Amino acid sequence: MIARRLLSVALCLSLAVALLPERAASRDINEDPIVVQDPHFGEVLFYFYQQDYFPAIVRLLAAQKQERVASHIEESNLLLGGLYLSYGHHLRAAEIFQELLADNVQPAIRDRTWFFLAKIWQQRGYVDESERALENIQNELPGSLEAERQMLHAQLMIDRGRHDEAIALLEDWRDKTEWSSYARFNLAVAMVRSGQVNNGARILDDLGRMEPFSEELRSLRDKANLALGYAYLQDGQPLAAKPPLQRVRLAGPFSNKALLGVGWADAEVEDYSRALVPWMELKSRNLLDPAVQESMLAIPYAMAKLDSISQAADHYLNAIEAFFEESNRIDSMIELIESGYLFEELLAQDAHGTTGWYWDLDKLPDGPESRYLYHLLSTHEFQESLKNFRDLSYLHRNLDDWQGSVDVFRNMLDTRELAYNQRLPRVETSLAAADLDGMVARKLDLDARLNSIETNGDALALANKREFELWGEITALEQSRAANADIPEAEEVRDKIRLMKGVLQWDLEREFKARLANIRRDLRETGEALVATQRSRRQVDETMRNEPLLFQSFNERVDGLMPKIDLTKARVDSAMGRQRAYLQAIAVDELRAQKQRLNIYTVQARFALAAIYDMSATTVGSTSE
Amino acid sequence: MRRLVMIAAAVLAWAATTDAGLAQDAELEGSAVMASAQSAEASERAAREEFRSLDEEVQDLKKEVLDLNRDLFLLEEELLFPANSQVAFFISMDVGEYFALDSVNLKIDGKEVANYLYTDREVDALVRGGVHRVHMENLKVGDHELIAVFTGKGPHWRDYRRGATLTLNKGIGAKYVELEITDRVQKLQPEFEIKEWE
Repeated sequence: MIARRLLSVALCLSLAVALLPERAASRDINEDPIVVQDPHFGEVLFYFYQQDYFPAIVRLLAAQKQERVASHIEESNLLLGGLYLSYGHHLRAAEIFQELLADNVQPAIRDRTWFFLAKIWQQRGYVDESERALENIQNELPGSLEAERQMLHAQLMIDRGRHDEAIALLEDWRDKTEWSSYARFNLAVAMVRSGQVNNGARILDDLGRMEPFSEELRSLRDKANLALGYAYLQDGQPLAAKPPLQRVRLAGPFSNKALLGVGWADAEVEDYSRALVPWMELKSRNLLDPAVQESMLAIPYAMAKLDSISQAADHYLNAIEAFFEESNRIDSMIELIESGYLFEELLAQDAHGTTGWYWDLDKLPDGPESRYLYHLLSTHEFQESLKNFRDLSYLHRNLDDWQGSVDVFRNMLDTRELAYNQRLPRVETSLAAADLDGMVARKLDLDARLNSIETNGDALALANKREFELWGEITALEQSRAANADIPEAEEVRDKIRLMKGVLQWDLEREFKARLANIRRDLRETGEALVATQRSRRQVDETMRNEPLLFQSFNERVDGLMPKIDLTKARVDSAMGRQRAYLQAIAVDELRAQKQRLNIYTVQARFALAAIYDMSATTVGSTSE
Repeated sequence: MRRLVMIAAAVLAWAATTDAGLAQDAELEGSAVMASAQSAEASERAAREEFRSLDEEVQDLKKEVLDLNRDLFLLEEELLFPANSQVAFFISMDVGEYFALDSVNLKIDGKEVANYLYTDREVDALVRGGVHRVHMENLKVGDHELIAVFTGKGPHWRDYRRGATLTLNKGIGAKYVELEITDRVQKLQPEFEIKEWE
């Protein structure tokens, strides 16, 4: 095992989960470190840390299938669950967690994982699943997550109409952070919905007077004031409605509605001059806002009340014209959406092709249509559907790429198989010519001869060529007639021959052991080379046996995967079509509702205008009479 | 909807002073508004159900495509880099305080096989413990010389270029080689090492 970078992964899941929400608590880096032992596990982390969840999952699934993460079995399963969760494949993530979270994970990590799963499910409208996930949390979550969990729980209860339970939960709120303000707002909502209007109003009034320290809280204060003001207006208490409505900031997401409400509060007490002040301010604002649209009718209404009939008529005419133009723009927008290009355009803004769960469109496409989409984009339903559409587009591109690659694989396999079949006869001929068995027999024969030489001490057998020739010459001389003559000179020659023979024999015997060892070493190396050759031969034979099977296996895999890709791609295309249609339907419904509202306003403006004309005609008639 | 009723009521109430008959239209309109609210609720419920059904379908497809990708990924690897000849080269970083990686250049037996330029995101992933498979190669059995050149910013943000070498003995079966960048704390310098992944 090579010691590698120490990861601060208290089980990788904590990282996976910690990375999920943008404002999640910081990653836990004080957990027991683990060591990356399998490079393929480290490779998965490489993609995971870049938030490239799709390739990370693919690599992890492949590594698991090939048993390449044997040292990280537990971590890799949990990481896979975390990756699925980050990728937005929440159903599969939940299956994994259900299997693994019970025993294998620290309770803190397990609880946090269930919390994020619950949150994702709530956003996706999986209310039952979200509640079940919350039930799996056993201990208090760290930091602000606990408050967020309670809030999520209360939200689920309110969504399900269990207001009393939500009230009980929210009334017990002990947290002192900014979450307590949200909790009080939700408490007021639950109270109003359950009929405890006065209690709800008191809480909203408190919230509307708080000193906020962040933009989020300022926005919440505006929301509370607006809700309270409109509740009083609806209850016929215009004087009580005015103070909370006036506490709403002049520039903010709720300012238009507040200005409209302030105007109506004045109008209700018949102070039309005062009512005109906020309404005239609204008139200069974005006509897309329903409050602004309504102000275009409210202004002439107030003017008429102030007997400025002629000005009122002008304003009605202006309103009718503005509504007409706006209505035409909405028609063009509906046409654009129905053409189907809008969503592709929206996704084109996402240069990285992100596949993560926490993905938002941070920039709308330039163009007149963008202003209609702000409201839609703020809804979970549209955002989540757009994410699904984005993910399907990614899957489509991915399968498209693989289609091309598989064609290349097919060509590659065909070429490789052809080359193999062409080379095979030559290889077979070469193999047939190599007499490996004969070589082994010769080696064994040499071993036997060497053993015999050693046993007999036959030093001459290991003589080199020159020594052997010398030995032959000496022996020949020894046996020659002259050397054996019975004369003194011959005796002297015989002595020299004996001396020469003795020296040669001495040399041979002195070298005998070394030569024997050298030859034995050479023979041993020859034997080893023969064994290696035999092994190689076996491998060649095995390859020749297996290669056709390997080709067959590859061919089967390619042949099996090609139609699978086609089929899945067709299903992805069809799902994309349905998802696009669904998104179009949401967007078009929203726009049609806007158009319908404009139509109603137009009718009312026309009617009021006609009434003014009638009244003028009547007045002129009675004057002339 | 409430605002709608409010403006409709206000405008019509004023108008009614001149023509009582139109007040009935206002009531009718009020009923229409109620009916439309109910139908909106029903269509919202239907839309939620449709959303869920589509979401479940997308979830199924994600699983299928991921499984398909796994099979294709393995097929590609086995086809291009058979296990017997496969050698994979991984880059890893430990700490990385004394070196900011820009690129890695790999040569095997004198031939350049990879020249990889790292993005900030990739470097960050390496620093956090990720391991990058920078290259895969098919090598014959026997010895091979590997040279890796690391380029980046060293201590005091100076340009830094260092090489490391390894004689790699390729046997039968896949081999994994690690190109590791670590910090030599005593010398306040980075250290580059190539070793076989055991």
